[in-house]
Amino acid sequence: MQLPPPLETKFNELAGRYPVKRSALIPMMLYAQDHLGSLGDEILEEIAKRLGLNFIEVEETLAYYSMLRRKPAGRNHIQVCTNISCMLRGGNELYKHVQKRLGIGHKEVSASGTFSLEEVECIGACTGAPAMQVNYDFYEDLDPDKVDAIFEQLQEGKKPKPSAVTAGSLHDRLPAEVPVISKRFGIPNAHKIDVYRKHEGYQALEKALTMTPDQIIDEVKKSNLRGRGGAGFPTGMKWSFVPKDTSKPNNIHANADESEPGTCKDRPLMEMDPHQLIEGMVIAGRAVGSHQGYIYIRGEYRYIIDIMDAAIAEAYARSYLGKNILGSGFDFDLVTHTGAGAYECGEESALMESLEGKRGYPRIRPPFPAVVGLYGCPTVINNAETLNTIPAIILKGGDWYSSLGTPRNGGTRLYSISGHVNRPGIYELPLGFPLRRLIEEVAGGVRGGKKLKAVIPGGSSCPLLSAGEIDIAMDYDSVAKAGSMLGSGGTVVMDEDTCMVDVARRIMHFYAHESCGWCIPCREGTAWLRKMLDRFHEGGGREEDIPLIDELSKNMLGRTFCPLGDAAALPTISIVKKWRNEFEDHLHGKCAYNAAELIAGVH
Amino acid sequence: MADQKQIAFTIDGRPVTTTAGTLVIEAAKTQGIEVPSFCYYPGLSLQAACRMCLVEVEKMPKLQTACTLVATDGMVVKTSTDQVHKARKDMIEFLLSNHPLDCPVCDKGGECELQDMTFRYGLDKTRFVEEKLHTPEQKWSPLVYYDAPRCILCFRCVRVCDEGMDVKALGVGSRGVLSVILPNKPDELACEECGMCIDICPVGALTSGTYRYQTRPWEMTYVGNPCAHCSNGCKTTLSVRNNEILRANNRDHSGINGEFLCAKGRFGYDFTSNAERIRQPLVRRNGKLEPASWEDALEEVARRLKQAHVGRGPAAIGVIGSNHTTNEENYLLNRFARVTLGTNNLDHHRTADYAGLAAALGSRAKDSLATMADVYNAPAVLLIGNDVTQQNPLVAWQIRTGVRHHGLKLYAINSLPSKIHRQAKIAVEVAKGGEHQALRWLASEHGQFDVKTTEALVQLKAALEAEKDVVVLFGADIQGAAIRDLVSLAARFGGKTKFMALGDYANSRGAADMGILPDRLPGYAHLSDSAERARFGKLWGGEISATPGLTARAMMEAAAAGKLNALYVVGANPLKTFGVAQPDRLAGLELLIVHDMFLTETAQRADVVLPAASTYEKDGSLTNTAGEVQLTHRSIDPQGPRSDFDLLRILSHQLSMLGLGTPIRLRTPEAAFDEIRQNVAGYDLAYANLLAGGSELARATSKAPEAAYDVPVGTIFSSQDYLFTSGTLGRYCSRLTSTNEAKQIPWTSSPSTQSWWQR
Repeated sequence: MQLPPPLETKFNELAGRYPVKRSALIPMMLYAQDHLGSLGDEILEEIAKRLGLNFIEVEETLAYYSMLRRKPAGRNHIQVCTNISCMLRGGNELYKHVQKRLGIGHKEVSASGTFSLEEVECIGACTGAPAMQVNYDFYEDLDPDKVDAIFEQLQEGKKPKPSAVTAGSLHDRLPAEVPVISKRFGIPNAHKIDVYRKHEGYQALEKALTMTPDQIIDEVKKSNLRGRGGAGFPTGMKWSFVPKDTSKPNNIHANADESEPGTCKDRPLMEMDPHQLIEGMVIAGRAVGSHQGYIYIRGEYRYIIDIMDAAIAEAYARSYLGKNILGSGFDFDLVTHTGAGAYECGEESALMESLEGKRGYPRIRPPFPAVVGLYGCPTVINNAETLNTIPAIILKGGDWYSSLGTPRNGGTRLYSISGHVNRPGIYELPLGFPLRRLIEEVAGGVRGGKKLKAVIPGGSSCPLLSAGEIDIAMDYDSVAKAGSMLGSGGTVVMDEDTCMVDVARRIMHFYAHESCGWCIPCREGTAWLRKMLDRFHEGGGREEDIPLIDELSKNMLGRTFCPLGDAAALPTISIVKKWRNEFEDHLHGKCAYNAAELIAGVH
Repeated sequence: MADQKQIAFTIDGRPVTTTAGTLVIEAAKTQGIEVPSFCYYPGLSLQAACRMCLVEVEKMPKLQTACTLVATDGMVVKTSTDQVHKARKDMIEFLLSNHPLDCPVCDKGGECELQDMTFRYGLDKTRFVEEKLHTPEQKWSPLVYYDAPRCILCFRCVRVCDEGMDVKALGVGSRGVLSVILPNKPDELACEECGMCIDICPVGALTSGTYRYQTRPWEMTYVGNPCAHCSNGCKTTLSVRNNEILRANNRDHSGINGEFLCAKGRFGYDFTSNAERIRQPLVRRNGKLEPASWEDALEEVARRLKQAHVGRGPAAIGVIGSNHTTNEENYLLNRFARVTLGTNNLDHHRTADYAGLAAALGSRAKDSLATMADVYNAPAVLLIGNDVTQQNPLVAWQIRTGVRHHGLKLYAINSLPSKIHRQAKIAVEVAKGGEHQALRWLASEHGQFDVKTTEALVQLKAALEAEKDVVVLFGADIQGAAIRDLVSLAARFGGKTKFMALGDYANSRGAADMGILPDRLPGYAHLSDSAERARFGKLWGGEISATPGLTARAMMEAAAAGKLNALYVVGANPLKTFGVAQPDRLAGLELLIVHDMFLTETAQRADVVLPAASTYEKDGSLTNTAGEVQLTHRSIDPQGPRSDFDLLRILSHQLSMLGLGTPIRLRTPEAAFDEIRQNVAGYDLAYANLLAGGSELARATSKAPEAAYDVPVGTIFSSQDYLFTSGTLGRYCSRLTSTNEAKQIPWTSSPSTQSWWQR
């Protein structure tokens, strides 16, 4: 098949990017789709041929990823997020408005082919909710008027200006904030290497190149840095698990498949400070004896991938990447890799499968990635934010970093606060910062003077806290003690008018949509609960459904292959437990939120 | 092998000692403790997907999947706690939530693992009141249907197709609860149609196009028989209702094939009920074959054989035997030809040089013949001149499984392209007929090859000389002197080398073992051996001539030249096989008698056609290409035809009354098999094991290695049948030939076999 020249160039570049050809499969499909509008048999056969795969291997991989499509979309593919943060700020109404305006429904294409519409899961614009994407462009802080203005321009064939940066990431520093990894936010052109270098950039790497690997790991251990993806595993310890005597090449893997609803911290980090991640990864490579890094970025963040790629090219040009870095004799190569729409790929082993060009199914553990990871080689996989902290730790010392937080919970982290607050945004705060102050002081309190009802502390997979439970410190241990999780730092605030049945319903929709289908309890449990919560919320509930929702969630809990089942179960269990009265009210036709109706066409 | 360290732990309070590395689910089995599972399947990669095997382990906070949990010293496993029982119940409840409860019309009802598990572990009520997902059933091929709603996504089918078959015709589509199994082409399978996916499916999601909606499993009786087709001797379980075979599958895995069956074993049973089956004897009257009574037909055969015998003498009578009739029938035919008719013009279509191998090995054959299990267990296999994927599917399965399970190393020298080369460490591709040259080069570095081939041979030689306990497999082109070269080459390998000649048909090996050869008696004793002649002469009540007779091809040529007077053909189609299909090639014959199931090209020319029972309709034994003997059973009544055994026995009585030979007093195949066990070298087998459905290796020997001799060109050759052909028999297997794949040239076939499917 004759490919358009830019695609041919891209394919050739992708084919040479990975040690195993199949890894190019998902990027090839996504880029081909961008050029051709959809993935027909011909292009898939071409890709299969180039990668030496059977057609079925291509087809089944395609079928897994929600961004990849066999049928053409419109020239402007409108993707409206209705996940929890957007829903709380009018995402459903916005979606309905768009439906009406375009006259098409979910996954439909307008007659002219100008538009297609899709209701999508969290796109990582939670602090700019409600938000949508037109193709790869983000539009945030929307209302029907803004949307109409955007569509008018699109109809005229113009490209409306996308939101400049991740909404909520630029603001005057609050006294409570401790900018460490976000310190370059707002500095013009901080994503350029010269600006980065002017602001302490790559000094940590220079220092690290004079240290031994063990010294680097010790410094990270001293920092009490814990994984920022959600599980909070001590980073230094994770690095020390990599076998020293293996003959296989090690990999450093940045997990930037940010997709936990309520979370949008990696996006501004990579958007405004891409070199910080690069620097962190080279240092990590030095620490564990790795010479190859991969940054797995969710497919929706295409502009971020372009920013990262440009930064990587700059770093190569200045010898911060590549052979013999800064004359030290240390080699490190780094590439980005695009996802294509799958929350499950944020799970570390599923992410590796995905990077190997397969369906994003999690792997059986043990063996753990530190021993058998990507391509069967030892792999350190860290959340992008975690790796962003490394330069500061090396430059200023683990003790310094640790002292910013609380004992066992070193440093600072980015909180993306969304929902019913006056100042949704991205704030860097020390570990252990009080949740009440986070909501009332940092985020400006609940919008419209309303009362607080519930808080998701760290992404939608965490058990919800009620208004009476917010006097806790935001560190891993304290939040766990309160029965929830610090998670990914995606704090979602809900006011008194929020229908908690609707919240449970929306959360379950997400996990049912993102369940990979590998194991029975998650596959069937999330789908069952989704249907039941839909029915319940619509007014078709039965008294016996309330304990059944609770029990089915508990039947998934702890029994699924990967943590996705727990992620679906935990918030649901907490909602049934803490807001059982709202379920009972529903049985009598009462709903705390007047817009309590099912969104048609939802997944 | 792997670490043999022993560890001790407990399951449900019982102490267990086992090899380090054992999975808890397997260790539990040894204690008779069932840990239920859907996705776990021994021999395939681990999934931990179905979560049915969750067990409690002390000091572990969460339930663990027994299918991935490796037992360690001191571990305390509990499989029968309230928590475990609850988890199983919950998993079944989840599974049934979208599963249609159409058990009353589901093919799998009665033998469904989900049904059984629900019965044992499930809830007694349904709490799921939502709408179930539904998608229509899909036809992927005439043989394989997929019903997505019934699918529980255990991925066994995907794994067996990929890992087991190396076909990868199946994948997974969509995601989450919408996940389905996908065929490799939209709505269509393009594969080997082995049906392994149907067999391995625990529920009624994958069903057989030949069996679906026909009956209920409990209405059938089950008979395990060796397959009627290729020479590998897989056991296929025939499911019979009202004297009709409705299905063939492999549910008890008790045969030499374990869980394997190919398309022929699974779908190629319908020749038994083919409409073209001859059900009545036919006698040529006024130039036309007309139905006759058994009495008239047999009288005609006896009378005319006597005439021929008297007329131009026994040397003008030829007998061609079969490579799919039983050992007992071949044994009887040997006696019938040599003693009753007094001729050594006795042969069959030889598809591998079994006699040559026996001669080359001599008494070493006792421990130098490889079984199917040996192929799997071997550390290394050398394959010469055969596309095992297509021609010997079980052998190919054994190789693939050995590679997967314990790193078996495959080396190949082949003029045929073969999918099995994907598993090969080194595959040397040579020109047609080049295998012998390559062997000679390996043995003595004599001969010239191009640079690429030479380099490959150098590598191969070095690799082979570093191996030990190699199993050597070779096809029809390695015959006579080539076998001698092969055996001497193999003497350089370390350890104990074993051999297997790869023939074509269900009893190709048995026909040779039973001496359906112009120069050899049962057990490969040469006719020049007067003691053996005397022994069999005494046993059979007559004299055996020491002069070797004509080969089958020579008989056909003699017939054409008018040098043969009468030809007696049992279960063979020599007009087709020997490429002399012109009708006048038989013009010189005065008498042609044929036993067959169908009016083959040869039968159409016969003076008398006696309708014969098929392998599935008679008792007896068959010997696979490895030499493994298995019993075959009368699973249905032939309804008209008689077994070749009965026909020969009855005729011997009639002929003796006419003064020819003595009547055969062996009334049953069992009696004949007793005589074989007592008198045929290598066949002193343990009968009890055979009766129990097992196999025994016949180690046919000649006393000492004989000088190699080259058989005339064109005597031993393969039909090169493929997955969808089976000699003349294959033409009458309409299910087998119904698939698209059967109508296409397989990807591995060489140009010379372009019309293979029309055979």
